Amino acid sequence: MTSAAADVRVSSEAGRLTVAIAGDLALDSISAVEQALRAPLAASPKSIALEMSGVRRLDASGVAVAVKLHRAARSLGVPFEVLGIEGDRKLLVDLALRGQDPQPAAPRLGFVREVGIAAAGIGEMGLDLLRFCGEVSVIALQIIRRPNLLRWHDTLSAMARHGTDAVPVVGLLGFLIGAIIAFQTFDPMARYGATLQVADVVAVSVVRELGPLITAIILAGRSGSAFAAEIGTMKVTQELDALRTFGIDPVRFLVIPRMLATLIVTPMLAVYASILGVAGGYLVLGPKGFTPMQYMIEARDALTVGGFLQGLVKAAVFAVLVSGIGCLAGMRTGQGPGAVGLSTTRAVVAGIVAIILADSVLGSFFYTLGI
Amino acid sequence: MPAAIATTPATEGRKVAIALRGVSIGYGTRAIIEGIDLDIYEGEILFIGGGSGCGKTTLLSSLNTLRPPLSGSIRIDGIEIAGASEDTLQEVRRRFGMMYQLGALFGGMTLLENVRLPLEEFTRLPREAMEDIARAKLGLVGLGAHAEKKPSEISGGMQKRAAIARALALDPPIIFLDEPSAGLDPVTSADLDALLVALNHMLGTTFVVISHELASILSIGHRFAMLDGARKRMVALGPPAELRDHSEDAWVRRFLSRTASGESS
Repeated sequence: MTSAAADVRVSSEAGRLTVAIAGDLALDSISAVEQALRAPLAASPKSIALEMSGVRRLDASGVAVAVKLHRAARSLGVPFEVLGIEGDRKLLVDLALRGQDPQPAAPRLGFVREVGIAAAGIGEMGLDLLRFCGEVSVIALQIIRRPNLLRWHDTLSAMARHGTDAVPVVGLLGFLIGAIIAFQTFDPMARYGATLQVADVVAVSVVRELGPLITAIILAGRSGSAFAAEIGTMKVTQELDALRTFGIDPVRFLVIPRMLATLIVTPMLAVYASILGVAGGYLVLGPKGFTPMQYMIEARDALTVGGFLQGLVKAAVFAVLVSGIGCLAGMRTGQGPGAVGLSTTRAVVAGIVAIILADSVLGSFFYTLGI
Repeated sequence: MPAAIATTPATEGRKVAIALRGVSIGYGTRAIIEGIDLDIYEGEILFIGGGSGCGKTTLLSSLNTLRPPLSGSIRIDGIEIAGASEDTLQEVRRRFGMMYQLGALFGGMTLLENVRLPLEEFTRLPREAMEDIARAKLGLVGLGAHAEKKPSEISGGMQKRAAIARALALDPPIIFLDEPSAGLDPVTSADLDALLVALNHMLGTTFVVISHELASILSIGHRFAMLDGARKRMVALGPPAELRDHSEDAWVRRFLSRTASGESS
């Protein structure tokens, strides 16, 4: 590739700046030309002319010189003309100059306005959340009155996808959590000679707290993200619009089956995680000489119906939160390639935050009630 | 004030399917196009066009009830939809079908299930009848043999045809189409045009088509309504060939004769 530099001659006569370029005006010579123009343009000429009759080779980057001079002339409020070009070259330059007038910079927002806009954005999000909750509640009531409004098939398949398919991972984590608690508590308890009571600790913490919590966190990662991605993709591909123009409410069609499926399967998964968690505790006590029967009886005596119900209620609340947040994140998906990814991230992060917040509220509630 | 728009003699005396009066469309409080006065007649194929970003799709989303106009009145079959309650909008939605630019078929369903969905939601037909109707609609668009396939298993052109079949599911008198030919090869695009004409002749369906496709506009469009974002109004309405040759507006002539902005039309 030849990289002959362009020959730039700048003359200034009675305030008229004439830039005559000869040689190659292309990608490889543009930077030298722009360098040569810097000082003459800073002198605020009264008019600018670009003489291009000596240009041997002009490519689409070379046109940038004309654009630069045009914009400089516009911002100085002086006339600009291009001389010595015709035919395709003129077309190329004319096309590039179209719409190149410098746009007035957007006025900078004051701090108060920026805070106001941010607050309005948060308010809108709050309204969206409120509207969503209202819509879900109204449609849920309609379905209770007319169960045939529910898309049973979709609900069952969501139960399979987000319930049955989650059984291995929920079971594994539940089992390991039980074992970890037993590991961590065995030595301190042994100091007081209460080794068998490790079963109590495992049973109470897993059934009341960690079983539902682990299940919900897996649910947020597996299902909340999936709901946001599925519904978000449908929004991007206008499938949600298509549903609305058919007169089908996307909340009834997409959200309710997913929320109901999650609400049904999560407490079941939480119970399953708790059972395996208690079993996991025996991994530590078994080698210490305790029989399975001793361990089971101790764990059973530690548990109460209230504690068990507490776990179930927590799991149900977590299910509603995670699935609702996932679906809402999907429905609020914006446009563009990154929008679905963003919604998915929001669904998982907001889901987990909501779970922990709800857990602390429910925990203190049940504690106050003495359950 | 909207521009005075003459109806062509061919449309006089025909029943109005959709009437727009002083309609302004846009986002938030910012109007993109103002003061649209337009009668869309039963059984006509009306194309709506204009430069990129001029508000065509926004207008379509006002016509299909998803986005209320900023002001003005839109009546579909005589029912006002601007500011209407959700119940009224639901009633109106039964009277039109909609084909989206990318088809917007439901990815988890087969073509048959996609077309059957509106029937399941809005009719009490026996399941067998719904399936027969859905198969017939897919047959009409030449996809009878692909009924069991999912949208991801067929080409873009076939997806658009399937979307037309779905829009036809409830035999609506009006069908809106958003860029039906975008991204299609010329032959597939011509096939789609032929399909619209055939359906228009056979069923008397009114088609409102958003399109840039000049070949389609000129060959099958009964009328062409042109929006101009720079002037914020509808600048032309009439038979496409007539507008191309005789419009007083140079931008309209250039648009319809595909003349570059530097050349004289």
